[in-house]
Amino acid sequence: MAINYQVRRFFPLALLAACALAVAWVVSFGTLPKADFAFANGDQIQTVDPSKATGAPEGRIINALFEGLLRQLPLEQPPDATGNVPLKPATRGVADSYSVSEDGLVYTFSIRETATWSNGRRVTADDFVWSWRRTLHPETGSKYSYQLYYIRGAQAYNESRPEVDQAVEVELDDRPAHPSGQEQLFPRGSILRGILREVRNVADPAENGPAGNAETAATDASTADRPIYVVEIKPQKDGRVLWNQPGQRRVFSSRPGGSATSEGDRVERIRHLLPDFERTVRIRATDARTLVVTLNNRTPFFPDLVAFYPLYPVCRECIEEHGSPGWTLPQNIVTNGPYQLQFRRIRDRVRLRKSPRYWDAANVDLETIDAMAVKSETTSLNMFMNGQLDWATTVPNPVIPQLKKRTDFLSAPMLTVYFYRLNVARPPLDNARVREALNLAIDKRRIVEQVTSAGQQPARSFVPPGLRGYQSAFCGEYDPQRARTLLAEAGFPNGTGIPKIQIVYNTSEAHRDIAQVISEDWNVNLGVQTELRNLEWGTFLDTLSQGDYMVARSGWIGDYPDPNTFLDMFVTGGANNETNWSNTRYDDLIQTAQVETDAEVRMGVLQQAEQLLMQELPIIPIYFYVSINMVNPRIEGFSANIQDIHPLHILRRKK
Amino acid sequence: MIRFLLKRLGWMVLTMWVVFTASFFLMRAVPGGPFDSEKKLPPVIKRNIEKRYMMDRPLLEQYWSHLWATARCDFGPSYKLEDYSVNDVIAQGFPVSASLGILAMTFALSLGLVSGVVSAVLRNSVYDVGFMVAATIGIAVPNFVLASLMIVLFVFFWPIFPAAGWGELRQIILPALCLGAPFAGYISRLTRTGMLEVLGLDYIRTAYAKGLTTREVVVHHALRGAVLPVVSYLGPATAGILTGSLVLEQIFALPGMGSHFIQAATQRDYTLAMGMVMVYTFLLFVMNTLVDLSYSMIDPRVEVD
Repeated sequence: MAINYQVRRFFPLALLAACALAVAWVVSFGTLPKADFAFANGDQIQTVDPSKATGAPEGRIINALFEGLLRQLPLEQPPDATGNVPLKPATRGVADSYSVSEDGLVYTFSIRETATWSNGRRVTADDFVWSWRRTLHPETGSKYSYQLYYIRGAQAYNESRPEVDQAVEVELDDRPAHPSGQEQLFPRGSILRGILREVRNVADPAENGPAGNAETAATDASTADRPIYVVEIKPQKDGRVLWNQPGQRRVFSSRPGGSATSEGDRVERIRHLLPDFERTVRIRATDARTLVVTLNNRTPFFPDLVAFYPLYPVCRECIEEHGSPGWTLPQNIVTNGPYQLQFRRIRDRVRLRKSPRYWDAANVDLETIDAMAVKSETTSLNMFMNGQLDWATTVPNPVIPQLKKRTDFLSAPMLTVYFYRLNVARPPLDNARVREALNLAIDKRRIVEQVTSAGQQPARSFVPPGLRGYQSAFCGEYDPQRARTLLAEAGFPNGTGIPKIQIVYNTSEAHRDIAQVISEDWNVNLGVQTELRNLEWGTFLDTLSQGDYMVARSGWIGDYPDPNTFLDMFVTGGANNETNWSNTRYDDLIQTAQVETDAEVRMGVLQQAEQLLMQELPIIPIYFYVSINMVNPRIEGFSANIQDIHPLHILRRKK
Repeated sequence: MIRFLLKRLGWMVLTMWVVFTASFFLMRAVPGGPFDSEKKLPPVIKRNIEKRYMMDRPLLEQYWSHLWATARCDFGPSYKLEDYSVNDVIAQGFPVSASLGILAMTFALSLGLVSGVVSAVLRNSVYDVGFMVAATIGIAVPNFVLASLMIVLFVFFWPIFPAAGWGELRQIILPALCLGAPFAGYISRLTRTGMLEVLGLDYIRTAYAKGLTTREVVVHHALRGAVLPVVSYLGPATAGILTGSLVLEQIFALPGMGSHFIQAATQRDYTLAMGMVMVYTFLLFVMNTLVDLSYSMIDPRVEVD
């Protein structure tokens, strides 16, 4: 097709006009009023759903939006010698009081009369039952559901492990599509309840085609974990289940196809078959204001867990109306915390606005807060220096020595340890003497003084210091002389005969620098040759979980202020053990500590366990982290603490 | 021209399918998955989550269902930004990157064309030497170095711009300048070369002989011929601006597609990464087609085919 002269003539003009329009669109920005307080919230938050979130940035937002039974708050006292203010789970949350039974197993929470949702409804005990049930339901896929495993029956429900002759709940596969097209992620199909009578794991012969059929083989594999259940379904009357009356025998399975068993029973298709929540999981609302929870064992840190966001309530009617994740949109979400969600812009900011319905709104000072998603530490420091941020949560390592002199730089020890995992299945690391020699040959003080340089403490134990009532174990000071002797005793005098040891770490300059110092120490002090290997984050995690390494850099942040959060990692077969280390005495000690009722004795047992860990050394602790925060001096109420938790609603502008 | 467009459309569909297939299998071949973390999940919980995202199905089944959904422009939920679908993320990120790109391109074109023409007309003058030195520096200095320099100068030393962030015009100017600078330099040199060549041609001499002023000759007669190399450079330049913004969006904390792309890749957010790859492929294809079209509009000797 020929293009005529006219078109050609006006083309440059049209192009110019298009450019002008585009530029006009670009520069037409709306104005956004400045928030009272802005902070760098690290990476973009993954979600504001308390049941699904896992990270610290999410925690800061959820703590402002929602409120649990208890609140982890800093005590009103001046900081101790290390600069930390103790934290305590306080009844400044939805519960106005709580009591623990004599044996430490039954917790009774009384819910504050003034606690309200942002839609005006009162917060009730049923909200907690429903929310915790949602967290535990397998379909929710909550990553922190194991925080509820301390509650009786919770683990079996989450892992959908029904037991024969126990009450079960069956959700039929008749769930209606959610009107908004969103996933419901919570049972909406018909629920039948009854007693599980039989579980058949064998693949049904009726489904088996001729041998050698590839398709059948695939079906077999997928039905292996989809057994056939025989359940005695109890009759229901007026919404109540008549558990004492005889029921009707019905057969269920979640496998597709196959409508009959060999005995001719009709198999009904189901979504889920779980232990009956009301009868087996001990979370009960005795009335609108009372929540009773029964635990498996005495768990002294249960109040800390209750004050941790995975156990915060969510609003049932909001989730049921909007579905998931639609309910988390600012226009839909219903919250019960000191702040409401005004708007969210992906990888830009979350704007929070003070909630007038919050029971303690009179004591919340900041009207609007911006949580900025700033990934780069340098950028976040630039923005802090420039006055765009009032609180920087991280700063780049190299500038810390200069920043330390400033009064707005806060740094204090934290409940986090940096350590090296040793794969004890790989010789020569299977020899405990070699592991001890490697530990003693590292000059950890040099690492904290010359590499990390923010006031970190060299680690001589695995559990960081500063936990109430706990005295950490000890794995020895830097002692190259003794390290050499140990290595010689192990049969490797001056390092002869030791294969090259490979240290893997995820790509980061800080990790590389530390690995270099350690590699040098091992070489100079022991004559051990090392090789450094950096891996991209995802690959690194994969390598670690497959045990395909010799020495690997690691870190661990305590979930709650108790030594158990560090020590129970290394029990035999623990998901986070990853060192192939197994010690029955250690397993016994951890088990004993879990059922021990006397707090002091329990700490003693845990200390023994840690001492054992420090003798065996499947891990080498390197240093304890410090929290690093830069806070604008016009803000008060900000204090350093061991868990680096900083509730936003207690911050105030200086008068 | 219709035939040309249809042919291009066919090629685009084919290209996008190949890109989709390659990215799909490459992403899954890389070790690590979206639900790995240093704090390991109990296996049952991990299985629950994988079931939710259909990751427990055979790879081929996942491939077909993702392909079918992608063909309908539905990239599914983001694995890592759990409250959003990939389409939401693109809808929020695209305008940011587009603003940045358009502003950078406008800056590069206006500065590049003007300085190029001036250099050519006033050949060997102080202006010519000055512009060409500046252009060489602009091409040679990587944009993140330029960004650091600009931040030191215009944020701290002479505070007229904010350090980073998004939301007002002031915040986009520095990143757009840094992003556009190398392209301004390149365009400037292309224009100068093109202009010099055209100014020596017979029809320009004829125009002068008719008594036209230098301004008229340059604007009406010479420029059209001189910008042809620039137009053909716009295709690669768009690609460069798209990829260049990956780095700058990080430095200036801009919530654009570049940040999403990098994060999706490192966090193994399969669906989001796929969405980004497809959008980038589409954009590049469309921009190249537009450049080819405009080429024929400007130069009567070129016929699209």
